[in-house]
Amino acid sequence: MTDIASSEFAPLQEQKEVHAISRPSLSYWQDAWIRLKSNRRALVSLYIVIGLLLFTLAGPWIWRTDPAFQDLDQVSQPPGTNRGALVVEDYQPWFGDQFLAGEDLRLAEPGTTQAVRLQWDPLDAAGGHRVYRNIFPLGPERAYGIPLAELLDPETDYFEDRLDLKPGRYYYSVVAIGPRGELLDNFETIEVSVQQVTTVIEAVERGLVDDATELQVGDQIDLIWHPLGTDYLGRDLLARLMAGARVSLFIGIGAPFLFVLFGVVYGSMAGFIGGRTDQMMMRFADFVVALPFLLFMILFKIAFGIGPGESGVFPMLVALVVLMWPATARLVRGQILQIREQGYISASQLLGAKTSYLILRHMIPNTLGVVLVTVTFAIPSAIFTEAFLSFIGMGVAPPTPSWGSMSNEGIKTMLTTPHELIFPAMFISLTVLAFNLLGDGLRDALDARMRNTE
Amino acid sequence: MNEASTTSITTDDSFTSSAGKQLGLYTLYALLGLVAIIYMLSVAAGNTGSNVSGGAVNVERNSITITLREEPPQLDAGRATDASSFVVLAHVMEGLISYDDNDQLIPGVAERWEIREDGATFWLRDDAMWSDGQPVTAHDFEFAWKRVLDPATAAEYSFIMYSIKNAEAINQGDLPKEMLAVTATTDRILDIEFERPTPYFDKLAAFNTYFPLREDFFESTNGRYGSDADMMLYNGPYVVAEWVHGSTMLWTKNPYYWSDEKGFLDEIVTAYITQDVNAKLNLFKDGQIVDTHLVAPMLPTAMEQRWQIDRVMDGSVFFLEFNHREGRISDNLNFRKALQLAQDSSELVYKVLKEASYLPAESLFPVWIQGVEDVFRKEYPAPEHQMNLARAREHLEMARQELDLGEFPPIIFLSGDTPVSLLAAEYYQQLYKQNLGLEIRIDAQIFKQRLAKMTSGDFDIVLAGWSPDYFDALTFGDLFASWNLNNRGRYNSEEMDRHIRIAQSELDPRKRMDAFGEIQRLAYDDVVIIPMYERGWSFVVDPRLKGFKRRSVGPETDYNYAYIDVSGN
Repeated sequence: MTDIASSEFAPLQEQKEVHAISRPSLSYWQDAWIRLKSNRRALVSLYIVIGLLLFTLAGPWIWRTDPAFQDLDQVSQPPGTNRGALVVEDYQPWFGDQFLAGEDLRLAEPGTTQAVRLQWDPLDAAGGHRVYRNIFPLGPERAYGIPLAELLDPETDYFEDRLDLKPGRYYYSVVAIGPRGELLDNFETIEVSVQQVTTVIEAVERGLVDDATELQVGDQIDLIWHPLGTDYLGRDLLARLMAGARVSLFIGIGAPFLFVLFGVVYGSMAGFIGGRTDQMMMRFADFVVALPFLLFMILFKIAFGIGPGESGVFPMLVALVVLMWPATARLVRGQILQIREQGYISASQLLGAKTSYLILRHMIPNTLGVVLVTVTFAIPSAIFTEAFLSFIGMGVAPPTPSWGSMSNEGIKTMLTTPHELIFPAMFISLTVLAFNLLGDGLRDALDARMRNTE
Repeated sequence: MNEASTTSITTDDSFTSSAGKQLGLYTLYALLGLVAIIYMLSVAAGNTGSNVSGGAVNVERNSITITLREEPPQLDAGRATDASSFVVLAHVMEGLISYDDNDQLIPGVAERWEIREDGATFWLRDDAMWSDGQPVTAHDFEFAWKRVLDPATAAEYSFIMYSIKNAEAINQGDLPKEMLAVTATTDRILDIEFERPTPYFDKLAAFNTYFPLREDFFESTNGRYGSDADMMLYNGPYVVAEWVHGSTMLWTKNPYYWSDEKGFLDEIVTAYITQDVNAKLNLFKDGQIVDTHLVAPMLPTAMEQRWQIDRVMDGSVFFLEFNHREGRISDNLNFRKALQLAQDSSELVYKVLKEASYLPAESLFPVWIQGVEDVFRKEYPAPEHQMNLARAREHLEMARQELDLGEFPPIIFLSGDTPVSLLAAEYYQQLYKQNLGLEIRIDAQIFKQRLAKMTSGDFDIVLAGWSPDYFDALTFGDLFASWNLNNRGRYNSEEMDRHIRIAQSELDPRKRMDAFGEIQRLAYDDVVIIPMYERGWSFVVDPRLKGFKRRSVGPETDYNYAYIDVSGN
């Protein structure tokens, strides 16, 4: 053993303080919020979700149009259509004008959206006439377009077209037909430009003017403004999207929130208690999984006494909650089982942590990521379920719209008036995407294991 | 150090590159496998569909490909009720009388006939044969009709034979079926006695339910008659040669058919069974089927494709039918008057439904019904209708007082589940809410369920329609007779019944038409119904196929007179 002389010791020199690495103490939620804020995608999604909620709740207070009102002057109008209309006399039936000057196929009066009145001289050798309308000029293949009428009496030499006239250009043809209705070779054709018109009575009915005396025939007036256009019955799309959002978001957020909550409680109980109870509870969950959703939806509808033509949204919510929770429950149970065996749980228990502390401090925060993923997937799937059920008539009752039923209506006229499908579909996609990205960001932010790994 | 790091990098590189190679190889295998599977599947599909000729018109085989609305439940003419069965039966069977390509009655199995006040006689032709080569005789008709009326057969269309003496009693089980006043006097002569004068019996005799059936063959099928291609005997221009249930049917020319004015094609393949108009439009666009009908949203596409669009009225009338049962709000005349005055069928057709082939309906009787000399509606114009909101509201107020209601409860509006019915239902819902302040609940049901609800009276207003069974005003005229089971609203009026009785049995055409004129007026004045539209179809046909017909009475699509002509135009 070496002797060490005390002289070899010297007092420690006073040292400069070492640069301290520390940061303010943050709570779990503060930390999560900071990390969420730094995630741009999640933040934008959050704004979109808030915007959607505002759109749904505050929108109808600002845009006060009845979503069921049918503006039959402007059916299936895309947004930004010219709204100018000429005020004309009320419609009166017209039975031709034999003394109308001119030759061939001619107009009795300028074409309007109210009616296009055609007059012609009977074609040679005609056993009758067929009147056609086309949106393309007549080409060499002689495709006349839509047959509007078949006039079997050769003496009938006039026709009034009132079918779905839109402002624009039409090409009318009158073709001679033989005694058995077959097309003959002689025909006449005319180009007609149609002007948007309305009448005083209609203007008052639609609320364009307060008093009939304010308007006179020949005045120019603007029809009702529809910022996003109208649907197949002339209903305002913006108002319908707002009304539809209420149903879609109610189901889309309400149902997942409720069944995930139930699933978490059920699953964590099963996982935490374990043993026989766990076995029993999970077998019951398996049993619920096997129940057919649609059948129960119908059963609930009957059980709640929902008659025909009444909204089935509430039974839909109940059916979703009652039947959709097992997936969450299973997931949470698995997580809890895993966490229960972790070292830090045993350590906490050794240090005397109570059960409630264990659950609240360790278990739930650690499962939150998984739960949030479930929610983010549940919201779009609930929105889609609502859409599907509304389509088969189990959901909303007309005239109440929902995004799903609006899409299903829009898809029928997808090629001719795409805006009727695009807007509700866009809202569904946007909502689903926003919830997904937000959930993604929340998972990253709330995951306890991702803490301090910047 | 430097060297070491470079080697480690190279090993990394070789590792990634080999992994990349592996991945590339797997992708290649996967793609090859996919190609192989696709090829195998297409071969398999080709095998199963060997009789699907491919293409709408096959000139070499003289065959065409068509669609059927749905698979016929069975092809027993006596029991058939659906449009699809009627289409098939019209091609493979023939009654005493049939229709030519211009909707005129022409001799079928019967060469000539005579209709008297108390009965009728049909003389059958010698050369009408069954598809097994045996002649079609008067006994085959006698047997078929007695079987239809036998309560054990439970034929839904049995009522169409009620003008034959004892028919109704037999069908009710009150008389044995041998009592039916139909006698095959010889193999060639069929004698019929009437229960009441039936001047339109020739039109009835063209209907499916009156088709013949041979007793020995029927017995040999052991109750499976009509269930399969070989479980039937045919006497029409075509025979069902193959019937793959749920998939396809093949009709071939019947070599024993007597006339050369029908059945010009060698084969008709019903390769597709679908009701989806969009699917049919795509099939037509691809040249897979010879014809399809078009709905309003498709018309721009059709115009863009430069197709020659055709149109036909299908003969049916659609209307709002009220529930006239006691205790219903709709039993109140003022209520019905209010609803009548607050609507205009032309707005529905021109602005809402937008179907070019539809006609705004103004009467229970469609425009094509024949009157005495001219068209019925020219001789007896429909009551003039003008929308009048002020009067409508007056009537509604009167109804409210009469019914002693504070406010009207929601009105149950029963409708079908087709796009057109739903559209119309939504339109009326808003129309009556806006104009009369009524709340309407739409009860959209599938066809069978709607019929069940109509029969049980579970509605206030129903969106209903009626397709003619035969070419006579009576097919519409007797619809609201108190005894008619198709009068689902249970409209019951002595005046109506009286006019219908005249229409049924009066022989003087003028007096008979007068009765129909009265029925038309009463239907409007008493607001039995609110006419909506007369249905028609816009349709396109492959330009190589000529002679194709869409009919208003009889099969909706008729290929009996169709032939292929590739000469162009």
